[in-house]
Amino acid sequence: MAHLICEVVYRGIFQKNLASRITRGIVLSARKAGRWGIAFGRYGDSPQRNGIPAKDFAIVADSKEELEQHMARYEPKELHVTICVDDTLGKGVESWAWYGLQPINRLLLPDGHLLVTSTQSPDDLLKDIHTKDSPYHLWILPGKASFGGLWVYKEDHTEVRILGALAKIAPQFLSIDAVSEAIREAEWGSDLKVDSARKAYERIESRPVRITEGNPETPYAFELPRWWEMREGVTIPSLPIGKPIEGTKGYRPERSTVFKKFSTRTMRPVIDFDTCVKCTLCWLQCPDSCFDVMPDGLYDANMESCCGCGVCEAVCPVHNCITMVNEAAFEDNASQWEMWRRDKDAYKVWLTEKIQDKVHVARSHGFRYRGQYEEELASGSDLGGRPVTEGIPGENAEEKGLPSTVHVHESASIVTGIPEAPGA
Amino acid sequence: MAEATIFANQTQTLEPFKGVKKVTIEEYFSSGHRTCQGCESALVMKLMVKAAGPRTIVLGSTGCMYVANTTYYSTPWVVPWMHTQLGSSGSAALGTAAGLKALMKKGKMKAEPINVIAFCGDGGGADMGLGAISATLTHKEYNSLILLYDNESYANTDIQLSGLTPYGAHTTFSPPGTVKRIIHTRWKKNVAGMLAAGHPECRYVATVCASYAVEMMNRVRKALTIPGPTFIHSLDPCPKGWDYDPMLSHELGELAIETGIFPLYEVEDGVVKYYGKTKAIVDGRKRKPVREYLLKQGRFAHFTEEDLAYFQAKVDEMWEKWEMPGVVAFRKQPGAVPSVN
Repeated sequence: MAHLICEVVYRGIFQKNLASRITRGIVLSARKAGRWGIAFGRYGDSPQRNGIPAKDFAIVADSKEELEQHMARYEPKELHVTICVDDTLGKGVESWAWYGLQPINRLLLPDGHLLVTSTQSPDDLLKDIHTKDSPYHLWILPGKASFGGLWVYKEDHTEVRILGALAKIAPQFLSIDAVSEAIREAEWGSDLKVDSARKAYERIESRPVRITEGNPETPYAFELPRWWEMREGVTIPSLPIGKPIEGTKGYRPERSTVFKKFSTRTMRPVIDFDTCVKCTLCWLQCPDSCFDVMPDGLYDANMESCCGCGVCEAVCPVHNCITMVNEAAFEDNASQWEMWRRDKDAYKVWLTEKIQDKVHVARSHGFRYRGQYEEELASGSDLGGRPVTEGIPGENAEEKGLPSTVHVHESASIVTGIPEAPGA
Repeated sequence: MAEATIFANQTQTLEPFKGVKKVTIEEYFSSGHRTCQGCESALVMKLMVKAAGPRTIVLGSTGCMYVANTTYYSTPWVVPWMHTQLGSSGSAALGTAAGLKALMKKGKMKAEPINVIAFCGDGGGADMGLGAISATLTHKEYNSLILLYDNESYANTDIQLSGLTPYGAHTTFSPPGTVKRIIHTRWKKNVAGMLAAGHPECRYVATVCASYAVEMMNRVRKALTIPGPTFIHSLDPCPKGWDYDPMLSHELGELAIETGIFPLYEVEDGVVKYYGKTKAIVDGRKRKPVREYLLKQGRFAHFTEEDLAYFQAKVDEMWEKWEMPGVVAFRKQPGAVPSVN
């Protein structure tokens, strides 16, 4: 009698398809080895929101009865493996229906496994990942986060590479042969993807994490009212109105005490206050009301409510005044304006470094024009060192009647026979 | 004396904002909402109450702006807000306005003009709530504003088709296939035009887009200062349902106007007035091709040149053949003799 419980923590919508493929792949691989399994999503995370953390689960068991025993639970509370497909989630998980910040390793059992897709080193990741009261293993699958969007799926082999890595982590449940077989036969129909899974299996390595290692900060938490403390009916106290800052013309809107957006962003704005022309557009167009109006009329992005959408960068008329930078490049949520006020020269150095941090700066969630996805695939070599995507014809290529060697760029622009006039 | 004027539909005095620097600094819809990154509808909520001010009651019918904004025990609202059922934004607006009036008349609360705004999504407003909105727009004795925030799908429940989903868009109800590429073949409803044309008692109907924030807020202010029921239709780019990088929300709103797909106009006391970029287009400025707008969105990723041409032709038709460009779709009977009075 044995079982394996895995969760996939991902960015809602952007990685929705990726996460479901991973959990489905786990179950299908387990079936190839004669085991039983189930893949499902966290109820509270659906309907999902763009970029907001969400979870999928996969449970594998030796027998049907044992699986049913675990299925009876609402959602797993203890895990053998956590798979985190965007390393900015190392800062914790605050899903759209979740309260407080849940450390990424919180549900891991002692000696459990945390698998992260990342270009960072273990030590860099551990600056974000909270400490845990029991040791665990950290595995890093080299690669950028795979953001596909809702309708367009990015076939960059991340899902099969994770399956390959998982075969190394839990060989007693998923042998690499079973994983290969599942990839080849059951789901994706591509030998190239089998190769990717096998390479990941060979190369992946773990590093033990001691209880002293990690981010020592206490994760953000709060007390929900008890049922007898609640008001009649389903009423929620509204937010108080924001107040001027210390008797100046500055203004800080009141912010929610129960939902901070510390983990809902993959990017954050950095602001060059020296070039700001105070046009107000970032403040006006921010859907999250994240900009505080400072006493000198500048706008300070408050990390309590920044969702990382980048609209402020898009509307800012000054070149490089607001730049979106990968969230992984930051260790705290402190005010940039105060940092700039304290020491403008040091701020300039800090800002320049952040903006030029090319490894981290580029992170596109969806695509910005038609064809970008195909272009990215065609030129897509991830930082693992090999072009993982060349010549991918798409899943189950043979069944779909697509030539299996055709270049992605051609096969993706599907223009088939048009049976009738548009609008007919 | 003051009370008598309240009962005669007195509204608040809300002067238009003269430029972005004059916009109210206070937020009445702040953080704590659980929307997507780059959610333009959340921006509409924020700007809507910013324009309306603190003495406002907001009613929200079911949709993403209800669910994401009031997930258990958290809310971004500073002004009073109440959830109302999916199809009943119109009824809720009317009932709240009537209730306030009755309470003031009976002396149970201080007599003062209070803004009543009910918002609904395109599913709640253009599909199932349309009848209730229509009814509300006939009750001229109650001051209320109904704001339809249109993200062109049922975006809360994972992107199903609504009556306002554009032609050919990929939704969970209209996934493109290899044999049949275009599943959704219906053209978008013209809600603002329909409501303006059919409700003689409604003195103000407008279309807005939050990419033009000050103009949008001024339309909200005007709607709230005109006695009786008023209606505003707002086009909200939705990064989830439209499938684009959240950073593009603002730009896509602008493109919808510049391509002429969503015209900006207001109908005040029966007079149609175009404004902003749309006015420039009516005055002869060239529209941008619709492909610039469509090809930035994943939901149109399956479009071929033929589909783009069809979409462009339909938009051209709206501008060239309609009785009023983008507003009234009636056409004159060819060769008809003008009526003689």
